[in-house]
Amino acid sequence: MPVFDEAGNLPQLHEELLDVLERAEGGFELLYVDDGSRDQSRNVLRTLRKGDRRVRIICLRHQSGQTAALAAGFEQARGEILVPLDGDLQNDPADIPMLVGRLDDGYDLVAGWRKDRRDAWLVRRIPSIIANRLISRFTGVSVHDTGCTLKAFRRSLMQDRALYGEQHRYLPALFAGTGARVTELVVHHRPRRHGKSKYGIGRTLRVLLDMLTVTMISSFSQRPLRYFAFLAFPFFAASLLVGVTAPQELMGGGAEFALDTLAVLAFMLPFMACAYFLLLGLLAELVVKASDVHRSGALNVSVGGDA
Amino acid sequence: MNVETTPGASEGKPETVDGQRAPVDVSVVVPVVRADSRLREVVEALGEQLKGRGQSYEFILVFDGVAGAAWTEAEELVAEDPGRIRRIRFQQAFGESACLAKALEIVNAEVVVTSPAYLQIEAEDVGLLLDTIEEGYDLVAPVRHPRIDAFLNRVQSWAFNLVMRRVLGAPMHDLNCCFRAVRREVLEDVTLYGDVYRFLPSIVHRTGYRVKEVRVRHRAEFGGVGLFGVGVYVRRFIDLVGVAFLSRFTMRPLRFFGAVGGALALIGGVVTTGLVVQRLIIPDMALYQRPLFLLGLLLFVLGVQVIGFGLVGEIIIYTQARNLREYKVEKIYE
Repeated sequence: MPVFDEAGNLPQLHEELLDVLERAEGGFELLYVDDGSRDQSRNVLRTLRKGDRRVRIICLRHQSGQTAALAAGFEQARGEILVPLDGDLQNDPADIPMLVGRLDDGYDLVAGWRKDRRDAWLVRRIPSIIANRLISRFTGVSVHDTGCTLKAFRRSLMQDRALYGEQHRYLPALFAGTGARVTELVVHHRPRRHGKSKYGIGRTLRVLLDMLTVTMISSFSQRPLRYFAFLAFPFFAASLLVGVTAPQELMGGGAEFALDTLAVLAFMLPFMACAYFLLLGLLAELVVKASDVHRSGALNVSVGGDA
Repeated sequence: MNVETTPGASEGKPETVDGQRAPVDVSVVVPVVRADSRLREVVEALGEQLKGRGQSYEFILVFDGVAGAAWTEAEELVAEDPGRIRRIRFQQAFGESACLAKALEIVNAEVVVTSPAYLQIEAEDVGLLLDTIEEGYDLVAPVRHPRIDAFLNRVQSWAFNLVMRRVLGAPMHDLNCCFRAVRREVLEDVTLYGDVYRFLPSIVHRTGYRVKEVRVRHRAEFGGVGLFGVGVYVRRFIDLVGVAFLSRFTMRPLRFFGAVGGALALIGGVVTTGLVVQRLIIPDMALYQRPLFLLGLLLFVLGVQVIGFGLVGEIIIYTQARNLREYKVEKIYE
């Protein structure tokens, strides 16, 4: 659970968590990640930890962002099932047993779906809806709310995958790309009480770009050339279209010189774009080949339920 | 890199334990980039201050391909106080970042003070920097105030810092004053190359460390720093683009390429569609007579290509992500 400047929320969260987890079956550990907080978060955490061996605190040296904080937590976690949770009380710990229970039905990841969101419409909900539609469309994972931090998944999914950038938002899509079985459940969502929201408006436009990346990484990271060929195709088609419709102009035998010139350019430009894409795709193949991402078994092809 | 550590630097005083140097409180690293530096002034004034604060210290003088008068002066200084003053000499100039990186390999203190090879600010203010580090900051950068150099210099410096604040996205006000105090572990976390030395506070700030600026008294500019030539600006600018790109977009290259390429493609797309629509409304305005149509097409294709580069960037980062960890665990409470 990543924590950044959330001193006000921590005691209540901790109590709720203990309450829920103690009633549930099985052992657990609470792993707090302090992302270089500047308020009293760390002291509060240490007070909470007092005498409780189930609580561990990871302190990061500098403020590293939510994905990095989560990555740090996942790396240190000992449990078989990981449940990331926001430190701001917007997720309800009471949902955890339900999510974990769903894993036993043969799923590898259960995503939370904040069906009834308590956030501003314009700034947070609409972009989120668009983003999620796009994700489902491109990755074939129909999850309504990938941005929800509250999830439950098997640690084996992480393997030695490194999380970076803003990938925590796209975990379901990314994992599905490596063969995980993904489902979702409706969870509760509560408005913020203490502390400020740490998202800005700027993220709205970035979601589209992230989409390109997530699609590529989740579905094509093994064979990037295919992705680039897919992107190159429209340009190839445009070029072909010009070639078929105006062969005469292309050879310089058209009615007017200016028209010939335009025809040549209209043929050449998309053709060049297409060629560039294919070349970039080959470069990408080289990069993937030269690295060891797919050598160390990053695929979860046969992750079984209780295996 | 051709490095020559002089005998004077390694023999030193008997403050060695098992052949290793005993740790000190503060290491002052001085990159020497000009032969007419005033090393004695720096060493004596800062040494006195540090002594006054009751802190043990060492000086590491890094000669960046410089010999001549400065080297002779350093030899005298080493002879006077062999344990505290150490020298590194590069056979050719590699720049201040390389100087600091090399010095970092032999630094014996947790806190490093970098200083130019002349007294740019009042020596007493080194205490101010170190006090602020003790308050828990990771890097303390100075802001010279009031400035005592020529008006034109001040304008130039102000504009430079203004641009840097925008480009690097870090609220630093005086990047040209390289008299700084910084924790060693922070320096070890930063790749020191090119112009990084100058932009250190901004980069460290962006990494997520605690950086603070303090006001110091400006003492002197040295050797008449006039307006730079065009070449200097061009080189600076190119370095800056690299630094800014890496510090903001390393883990998300498509954000950068996507913004640039997206904008280009959007302009191209709007121009092209606009002309097509116009052609449909006014039939006798043939598209091939409109050079603007070509411009639109070209822009669009260019924009799409830029996005393509961003995707390759993403692939590179994806494959290397494990080596580029974004966080450092400071402590785990079990």
